Amino acid sequence: MKSVITWFRNNRVLVSWLIPVIVLVVAIAFPYFIMKPKFWVPNIGIKTIWLGISAMSLTFLNRYLGLLSLAQVAVSAMSAYGIASAMVTFGLDWYIAIPIGLAVGTLLAAIIAIISIRTVAIYFLMITLAISQVIYSWVSQEVFVNGRRGLAPVRRPEFLLEMNNFYFFALAIAVFAYLACRYVASTPFGLSLEGIKDSPDRMRALGYSVSKYRFWAITFAGFIASLAGIIMVFDRAQADPDIVSLNSTLDVLIVAVLGGVTSIGGVFLGGLVFTLLDNFASDFTDRSMTLTGVIFVLILLFAPKGLTGVWEQLKGVFKKPSSSGAAKDLKTIAKEAVDTSSAKTKGKNQ
Amino acid sequence: MSMSKKSRLLPVMAIGATFSLLLAGCAGGGDEASSDEIKIGVLAPDTGNLSFAMGEAKKAVDQVSKELGLEFGGKTITIVYQGTDGTTSSAQSAVRKLVENDEVDIVLGPGSGDEGLTVVEYALTQPDVTFVNGAASPVDQTLKGADNFFRFMGDSVMWMGGLGKYAYETKGYKNIYLLAEDYSFPYDNAGGFFSEFCAAGGNMTGASWVPVGTTDYATVLSSIPAGTDAVYVGLGGSDAANFLSQAVQAKTPYPLIGGSIAIDPSALGASADIADAAVGMFSGGPVPGAGYTNTLWDKFNSEVEGVNIFTLLYYNAAYALFSGIKAVDGDLGDGQADLRDALKATDFTGPGGHIVLDSNNQAIVDNFITEVVQNADGSLGTVQVAEAHNVKQGTISYQRFDSCP
Repeated sequence: MKSVITWFRNNRVLVSWLIPVIVLVVAIAFPYFIMKPKFWVPNIGIKTIWLGISAMSLTFLNRYLGLLSLAQVAVSAMSAYGIASAMVTFGLDWYIAIPIGLAVGTLLAAIIAIISIRTVAIYFLMITLAISQVIYSWVSQEVFVNGRRGLAPVRRPEFLLEMNNFYFFALAIAVFAYLACRYVASTPFGLSLEGIKDSPDRMRALGYSVSKYRFWAITFAGFIASLAGIIMVFDRAQADPDIVSLNSTLDVLIVAVLGGVTSIGGVFLGGLVFTLLDNFASDFTDRSMTLTGVIFVLILLFAPKGLTGVWEQLKGVFKKPSSSGAAKDLKTIAKEAVDTSSAKTKGKNQ
Repeated sequence: MSMSKKSRLLPVMAIGATFSLLLAGCAGGGDEASSDEIKIGVLAPDTGNLSFAMGEAKKAVDQVSKELGLEFGGKTITIVYQGTDGTTSSAQSAVRKLVENDEVDIVLGPGSGDEGLTVVEYALTQPDVTFVNGAASPVDQTLKGADNFFRFMGDSVMWMGGLGKYAYETKGYKNIYLLAEDYSFPYDNAGGFFSEFCAAGGNMTGASWVPVGTTDYATVLSSIPAGTDAVYVGLGGSDAANFLSQAVQAKTPYPLIGGSIAIDPSALGASADIADAAVGMFSGGPVPGAGYTNTLWDKFNSEVEGVNIFTLLYYNAAYALFSGIKAVDGDLGDGQADLRDALKATDFTGPGGHIVLDSNNQAIVDNFITEVVQNADGSLGTVQVAEAHNVKQGTISYQRFDSCP
């Protein structure tokens, strides 16, 4: 046990990739070890993936820019509407419709960025929520997208008719989205975003155009959310105002919070728990919403950093008790140094 | 182990245990149907402003089970109930769970407008399952070409048949304001009323489409323009009850015309004093009022408590379905073809009148215009004003509108 823990400590970079790889292997095997694949693959597997990707765009902005956006669902929905309009209204093929959907979603994200770029914290959250609700009202009334009735049917391309093919298509998009987020986060652009998150004024003083960085980060997150829209519209076979309603917005926020609102990959765990509760809570009680709410509260209570934060809690459990000063963290060492220094100064003054 | 470690480990264990229990419960759900069983999945709202619909669906299915039994040709009917919140995404998840996880043979539902269109789209992808509509009433549900989808009730435009003329000619209203919930059912329901009312010479003075679940109608009441003779109230369930209560408090001077689910026991039976607003309100729909002469209606009311529109519609649907299963003696046939043939041949008189199907598997029904009255004991009820027989479906479905459609 001790040697395993030591190995984990000495290979942190490897470990940071090991968990996603294990998750990916389990995800690939998923359709083959479940008892009722006809139900579980679309309703748990695929729904978890598109909810997760939409939530991933939210966590990306929160983790690297410190902004909590409630417009990500609207972006996913507009991507879905773009695809549905292209296929249902104009009769275009899927390979033309998908780029149109991505373009519509990403363009909307860019517009949202321009509108909200100078706001932060609660103001950013409120303005993105307001934009999301404006879009909901618009699609509910707009004849071009068939108002409340929405656009249907949005048929999957022939090569995705087989449910497993569709699942692996969705999984491939999820892997791409995850790698894209991690890649962007590791570039100088991503590091600058973290700087802006910590201290925008300092970054501005260093010559960075904070607004420009925020614009591109929000647009990039919009592109990720648009990817979720592709899977969502083919999964639901329709685009209607319900996909951009307040309930849908809150669903994705809950997924992000359950998984860990700063964890890029944890959103899929949050998505899994959410879809399980969504489908099966009613099997346990007639008051399924109450059960879902209680479990949500319990998770927040016992794992405030979401389900992926449980890993941190476990690390704390197995952490070797410090017998000497070797295990002291940097904060403690710094505090002791300051205390010693001020004591010395006091002594000299006396 | 130190206390801090214990305090960290316990929550982890608790979450792990909860998660494991959840997974175990999920994996255990949805037993497969055996060969001597016919599994019916009942879909109805159990959350939101129409949450009472699930209770009504259960009452209706129980009543049909009592009347026709649960065994046909050696096969036992098993019922699985699945709730929704009235939204399309909820209906989609719920119907998929019934068909793909619980592996039901037949779906009985859904109960709300927007859900209906989603379920029909899904029915088109599941040719081996038969779908019998519960209480959803958008026009185009039966115009999508789903041969496995049946509706034993009128659509929401049919329910308004005769009401527009009645408002214009009999009541003498020339200018009517529209207040309705913002989803597909009131679009069709109000569309049916206003198309007839405007064709007769009436005028629409404006519209307020409010979100489902609206609790405050003060703004709407104050924005009704001068010169309005009456207000059309396209609200249902708790929304209708809230509106009527606030209309009394605001001393609204306008007479009210109800959409098909506005005059309903759940609204009329509200604890608030709504009599001043509700009495005189009239509506059109599938539920008859006092004075309707049909012994089956009297029997139904005596055997089932608190009948409302959902109880009646789910009853009609379940009765037709169980009768179909009885007709084929429990043998649904290859791809359920025999059951579908039996359903297509449905011809029965129920508590709400005579029902047969047209070539789109859409019912041709009786329809009623009723008016709210105060009974001697102070309670509110409805009386029959007019009835129409053999009402057939049209082909127009309505979008949200702000002037005469």
